[in-house]
Amino acid sequence: MIKILAACGAGVNSSHQIKDSIETEMANRGYNVQADAVVVKDINEEMMAKYDIFTPISTPDLGFTIPIPIVEAGPILYRIPVMAIPVFDELEKTIKDNNLQ
Amino acid sequence: MLDGIVKFSNTIFQPLIDLGSAPMMLILLTLFALIMGVKFSKALEGGIKLAVALTGMGMVINILTSAFSKSLQAFVANTGIQLSITDVGWAPLATITWGSPYTLFFLLILVIINMVMLALNKTNTLDVDIFNFWHPALLGIIILYFSNNLFVATLFVVFIGVLKFINSDLMKPTFNDLLNMPEQNPTTTTHLNFMLNPIIMLFDTIFDKFFYKLDKYDFNAAELNKKIGFWGSKFAIGSYLGVFVGLLGQQSVTEIFALAFTGAVSLELFSIVGSWFISAVEPLSQGITNFMAKRFPGRKLFIGIDWPFLGARAEMWATANVLAPILLIMSLFLPGNAILPLAGIIAIGLTPALLVVCRGKMLRMIIIGVFMLPIFLWSGTMIAPLVTDTAQNVGAFPSGLESSQMISHSTKEGPVEGMVAILIGKAVSNPNAKSVVYAVGALSAYLMLFIWYAGKMKVRNRIYLEENEDASAPTPVAAKGTL
Repeated sequence: MIKILAACGAGVNSSHQIKDSIETEMANRGYNVQADAVVVKDINEEMMAKYDIFTPISTPDLGFTIPIPIVEAGPILYRIPVMAIPVFDELEKTIKDNNLQ
Repeated sequence: MLDGIVKFSNTIFQPLIDLGSAPMMLILLTLFALIMGVKFSKALEGGIKLAVALTGMGMVINILTSAFSKSLQAFVANTGIQLSITDVGWAPLATITWGSPYTLFFLLILVIINMVMLALNKTNTLDVDIFNFWHPALLGIIILYFSNNLFVATLFVVFIGVLKFINSDLMKPTFNDLLNMPEQNPTTTTHLNFMLNPIIMLFDTIFDKFFYKLDKYDFNAAELNKKIGFWGSKFAIGSYLGVFVGLLGQQSVTEIFALAFTGAVSLELFSIVGSWFISAVEPLSQGITNFMAKRFPGRKLFIGIDWPFLGARAEMWATANVLAPILLIMSLFLPGNAILPLAGIIAIGLTPALLVVCRGKMLRMIIIGVFMLPIFLWSGTMIAPLVTDTAQNVGAFPSGLESSQMISHSTKEGPVEGMVAILIGKAVSNPNAKSVVYAVGALSAYLMLFIWYAGKMKVRNRIYLEENEDASAPTPVAAKGTL
């Protein structure tokens, strides 16, 4: 199970859209992925350590170095499938490069 | 003619309305999504989720208001401070608004306005943030509450909609700057939050002229957020505000603990049910996006999404964290305020606009933010009766509470627009010299301030453009290939 952390400003809209899209598309591509959606403000080092990949809309300054790979997932929010493909490709490449399972 | 349309609509819709809000919106949302080309199963899924979210949100409002009302009333009796309105935050207000069929009507109008403005090159923004159309829709509902005049309500919604699309284009270079986005990144937003920019810009200009030396005392926002830790999270805020209300209401220790944990549960549940509700609108959002996007093939567009992409900037959170206790203390002493901040205490209806105008200068954001807070408290107080009434109409408000008990939102997005809508509604329902002067005056001042702000943003955007051109131009030496 690959664990992904999605995050946005309110933790109810954009991050859930990213979470749902990533889970659906990565399942289609044959990966066992579980994503959680949270508010950027609530992320701390302890929480981050439980995940394999971080997928914010754009990379935040959290006051600590983010120790896991980051894939910016903003284009998923445009709702135009062709614009989201590079995000999923990057995610797939990150999974392969880091041998995540 | 409009009366005829309304009468005809009532004949068709009255049996639907009689079903109650949740079943009615299930049917209407499903039908609307089908019209937008969504598959039946997806459209129905959205409709059912909306009905479930409406029902769920009503239950959570019930939990919170039932638990807090006794203590709030005791607090009012003990202190004489009239803070009897329960602050339920944005999620219940969104749900209540989406529980009204007028929201779908205003949504349709705004989608048409967006397409017309795109076709006429009056905006470059394709707005795909369908969920947040509830904000301008609520403004229309405010006017309808006071005047029952659909034509005026629609005109005002269109007016605000047009300015929002223009504002979205104006802010785009600032978003690129704040988030280091490349030119080809299309992200922008039409959120009502940012219609507070003109007033903030007014304060920012004063700051530029007289207090610019204070900027050097700015501090690291991310460090501050890290120190605040879990105290800024929903369950913590719910807990300590429960303790606060319990102490002020002179409740027993047992009751204070119960209030603390009920507050925490309610704030967590508002968020969870809020996310159901957003996923309910998801199929419709995708349907409308498909419908609009295919009508502008090959056109380079900005894409308007929800504001949280700005959450990447730590200053936004640090300012919200600093403003929260200030809002609480201010609410106790501000004349004309009747809301005790609870679910809306983290002012995400304010700090994104502060971030955009002040471009991350923390001290400016906080100081100007303090001046903005009263506007939110007054506006939240003013809309409380209609929010409570509308909540009762859509079945999202408990009937067992005291009639004086009301709900609202302490940091509702678009506070100025809410006040202007109230003035217009009152002027239409009771057109005397005073009410008309107030409404016309407020509307004119609002428009003039926006025009002034647009001028300032155009100057800012020209500077961005020049900087980008300078940065991309090769230096003479490099151009000769001698480096």
